[in-house]
Amino acid sequence: MAIRVGSPGTRKKTVTVAICGNPNCGKTTIFNAITGLRQRVANYPGVTVEKTIGTFAVAEFDQYQFNLLDIPGTYSLAANSPDEYIAARALFGRIEGESRPDVVVCVIDATNLERSLYLAFQVMQTGASTVVALNMMDLLAQAGREIDLEKLSRELGGVPVIPVTASKGRGITELKRALADAVYPPPRPPMDFYDRRLIAETEALAACDGIVGYSTAELVRVLLDEHGPAERDFLAEYRESKSQALDTARRALRNAFGMLANAEAAMLTHRATEVAARVTKDHGRPTRSFTDRIDRAVLHPVGGLLILAILMILMFQSIFAWAAPLMNAVDELFQSLAGFVAPLMSDGPLQSLLIDGVIGGVGSVLVFLPQIVILFVFIAVIEDSGYMPRAAFLVDRAFGWCGLSGKSFIPMLSSFACAVPGIMATRTIEDRRQRLLTIIVAPLMSCSARLPVYTIMIAAFVPATKVLGLFNVQGLVLGSLYLLGIVTAVLVALVTRLFSRRQQHGSFLMEMPSYKMPTLKSVFIRVYTRAKSFVIRAGTVIFALTIVIWALSYYPHSDEIRDRFTVERAQIENRFSGMETNTSDKAAALTQLERDQAGAYLRDSYFGRFGRLLEPAFEPLGWDWKITMAALASFPAREVVISTLGTIYNLGSGDVEEASLLTDKMRRSNWETGPRAGTPVFSVAVALSIMVFFALCCQCGATLITIRQETNGLRYPIIVFIYMTSLAYGGAWAVYQITSRLVGL
Amino acid sequence: MTFLNKMIPGQRAKVIGFTQDSPLVRRLRELGIGPGKSVTCVCRAPLNDPLLIRIGASRLSLRRADASLVTVEIED
Repeated sequence: MAIRVGSPGTRKKTVTVAICGNPNCGKTTIFNAITGLRQRVANYPGVTVEKTIGTFAVAEFDQYQFNLLDIPGTYSLAANSPDEYIAARALFGRIEGESRPDVVVCVIDATNLERSLYLAFQVMQTGASTVVALNMMDLLAQAGREIDLEKLSRELGGVPVIPVTASKGRGITELKRALADAVYPPPRPPMDFYDRRLIAETEALAACDGIVGYSTAELVRVLLDEHGPAERDFLAEYRESKSQALDTARRALRNAFGMLANAEAAMLTHRATEVAARVTKDHGRPTRSFTDRIDRAVLHPVGGLLILAILMILMFQSIFAWAAPLMNAVDELFQSLAGFVAPLMSDGPLQSLLIDGVIGGVGSVLVFLPQIVILFVFIAVIEDSGYMPRAAFLVDRAFGWCGLSGKSFIPMLSSFACAVPGIMATRTIEDRRQRLLTIIVAPLMSCSARLPVYTIMIAAFVPATKVLGLFNVQGLVLGSLYLLGIVTAVLVALVTRLFSRRQQHGSFLMEMPSYKMPTLKSVFIRVYTRAKSFVIRAGTVIFALTIVIWALSYYPHSDEIRDRFTVERAQIENRFSGMETNTSDKAAALTQLERDQAGAYLRDSYFGRFGRLLEPAFEPLGWDWKITMAALASFPAREVVISTLGTIYNLGSGDVEEASLLTDKMRRSNWETGPRAGTPVFSVAVALSIMVFFALCCQCGATLITIRQETNGLRYPIIVFIYMTSLAYGGAWAVYQITSRLVGL
Repeated sequence: MTFLNKMIPGQRAKVIGFTQDSPLVRRLRELGIGPGKSVTCVCRAPLNDPLLIRIGASRLSLRRADASLVTVEIED
């Protein structure tokens, strides 16, 4: 019996359990079932592969504090993508700041035992204390098959095999208990799944001078994965001095196995076939499965595309139409908050900071929370149900034509909500070139932060007339802006392909999982985590930016201007004194004076001074300094534009709900100087030029930071920033010149 | 003997081997495509590419260019 050291305050031993498995094996469901909401998302150091860590406790094992580490899904420790390399390194204990896991739980899809055993063998070969979680036992029974658990455990050298049905929460308690037992596993004879010729060559390499700290399992990766990441890191560490030893060993392996690709795979697949055959009992009910029946419709060359199109339309409809009432509710909440706070404070910088800066700025961003939540519900359901790979399959040919892959579909789709998760989703693309290209074009998809700009400009300047008695011009313009992003992405991809030296084709290797009913819990956890990080972003980055912009457009707020307007105000009071009948004229005059005063402060602010300096550069786009500054201020985060426009057009606050007021202000705005002084700034042409600029421009610091992290360098963020900004300027210039000169709008 | 990319939907075949030694071939092996295994061509995506095949308990999709690395013997 275990000795208890469980009195409160006693230091517990921290046990790290890593959970690994093939993609779609139900690993994440098990992870969620074990830890619940006791999890946090972090990044692996150096790369932005998401690292989810949860904690859990096991009854009767309170001397342990368990950390559960979610390792990216992989078919093999031989890494083809950044995700897979992280998975391998985590198991080898090569992650900075992370010790080697004490226990590894290998999740196996019971309905696909033979294929799953491959990874299990590799994991056991690392020498880790392993527990096998045999998941989807319910589906196995439905398929009329049975696995002899004891026999399987014996075949695997005695490691515990725990039957689990994670989607129904079955077997989780037993699994936790087995994990605790596995911290100090009973002695077992070491398992050797590799051919002894492979072991011999690995040991010869290990015996080379100066190689320290590499386990046999790691050296197998260096040896077998030619041009792979393990080889790259190994050669970087030993400065090529061992490359000859590597070549010699590989030559020997090629001689022995025919090809390097066989050295490990032949052995492991053979063993997997044997083991699977020995432990599986088939009661033979060969019916056409549920998944096959759905696939007949969903993968149909015509019907399948139709289903995909309907699904996409439904998704966008829900984001734009169904989110509206929720967005109004959020907006009203912030309006009433501002209305509640304003009278409590005296006029001055602090009130302005709180109302215009904090409440207005953060509120205008949080308005998008409903859209983000709806989008992530959609994506979570599409992914969890198993439809996502089918969609990728259907569009692969079209995407492949411009150098992308069907796997780019998922990142591109996510980018319509936000490019940041979109770019992160490119990790599943193994081919480096396809992945980079996807990262480069993903920010062109019109994200949800661009929508308010479109909404305001269209509402204010595009007539709501119908064309052909069917289509609303406003809707058509909105649709064209989304199309503009997509078409530009295709063109950019085609041009990039034209200029790339290697014309080699990429691959599209993907497993189509069985369809599953998404569980409420799993969808909730995923949406909740995403929404949380969005809110945190609004509360930190955007919050800080809003305050900076507010300060730049508020200060210096000189006394000279105040004095000048105090004099004018006194003059108005004098003019109307004694004229009781003209109170409305007086009020109007005073309101106009207020506006002029605010305008004068703004023109004199640091923001205004800088804007007027830059005005000539943006004049060909039809912009005055106010639009210029609103656009420039939105470079760190384009969500800021609404609050900036609000501030600039000297509204009390820059809230979306006051958009109608903002549009009035914009319509009234005149050129202050230059040949067109006194004429209105805004026209259809200017509105179009602003929208095209926002559609094409990379006004998002978070996107650039994410690209930097995902590509490990400054090269790609710089490329993306330059090409998108140039396209935006060029596009806005072209659309302004064409519509104002040729069409005369 | 023919190649995996030449298979038409509904056809069954036995895998014979591979025409090159590469990380891609290693990955195909890891996914269960190995000599002696039985594959079924399930369908093709719009415009004929990629393919969906069934091997063992898995459904795999792969582009025809990659499928051309696998040699097969058509059964029945």
